[in-house]
Amino acid sequence: MTISRLRIILWLLVGIAAVGGILIAVQRPSPAADETAMATIGGPFTLTGADGQSFSSARLNGKPAAIFFGFTNCPDVCPTTLARLAKLRRQLGKGDEALSVVFITVDPERDGPAEVGSYAKLFNAPVIGLTGSPGDIERVKQQFGAFSQKVEQPGGGYSVDHTASVFLMDRNGKFVATLSPEESDSVALAKLSRLVA
Amino acid sequence: MIRSFPILTLLLLAACGQEAAQIELSQAWARPTVGQAPGAVYLTIENKGGVDDRLTGAFTDRAAMAMVHQNEVDNGIAKMRMAGEINIPAHDQIEMQPGGTHVMLEGLRAPLKTGDDFDLVLRFRNSKDQTVKVTVLKPEGK
Repeated sequence: MTISRLRIILWLLVGIAAVGGILIAVQRPSPAADETAMATIGGPFTLTGADGQSFSSARLNGKPAAIFFGFTNCPDVCPTTLARLAKLRRQLGKGDEALSVVFITVDPERDGPAEVGSYAKLFNAPVIGLTGSPGDIERVKQQFGAFSQKVEQPGGGYSVDHTASVFLMDRNGKFVATLSPEESDSVALAKLSRLVA
Repeated sequence: MIRSFPILTLLLLAACGQEAAQIELSQAWARPTVGQAPGAVYLTIENKGGVDDRLTGAFTDRAAMAMVHQNEVDNGIAKMRMAGEINIPAHDQIEMQPGGTHVMLEGLRAPLKTGDDFDLVLRFRNSKDQTVKVTVLKPEGK
């Protein structure tokens, strides 16, 4: 190989590197892209249902869903939220089929299919209880931007801090809004009415 | 001397009457539970007396442990923590509501079923122990 040919190859490499660098710079999202972060909440996932079988989020398609992240050892906020969703769904007056209520555990170490299943049955209304491997749950939490963190309890055991809001998804699995425990039932009902309209 | 004791006691009681905390418990309820999951009791604590009192503990035969817990939503995150002592101001009342303060029952001897009732004892700094009957309501609660 002559020196001049080597020089040409090196210049070609420099050119390729420069074009690549420009492409990466162009594709990197600007800070303003946060506006579109909402559109990325959710997306397809596969977890484990109360029957121990794999549960694909595709099964939620066709009707809107209210998705809540909690854990079965949660005596206050979680049953309060799920009971509220069941109550609001009744108040919509369109039947239980109008909206899926989904409970995803953030404590998969303690909550197997049996635990989420019996917990979901507590509310005298259909609630879909889901669990998965810790890795599965971590992925779904990331998809939804949901937070959870174990907190040691004095006297042993642990509690889990977790996102308090419910994620409302339309019948195509697209994120629409959140329901916060702090907003009144009338606001929540208005959001749900629009969702199931 | 001995005969004057009851009189002295009466006088003391009369003097304290105005000042003693006077605790009344009511409206105690819980949601049903399943499996090993803990329960939460909500109730109203009224202090009809003239001095503040503090809730320092809770006991029931229905569970291994009863603890006063406080929930708060901090920046969108639900957090449950042991509550310290809870102040019950004079002539005031604390109404425990879902999503706030509750008595958590850990290690229930049997899951709570709608229609059950059981005794819960609360301990106070000034007043003597008070017992209230807890009713297990439907899952919707109040």
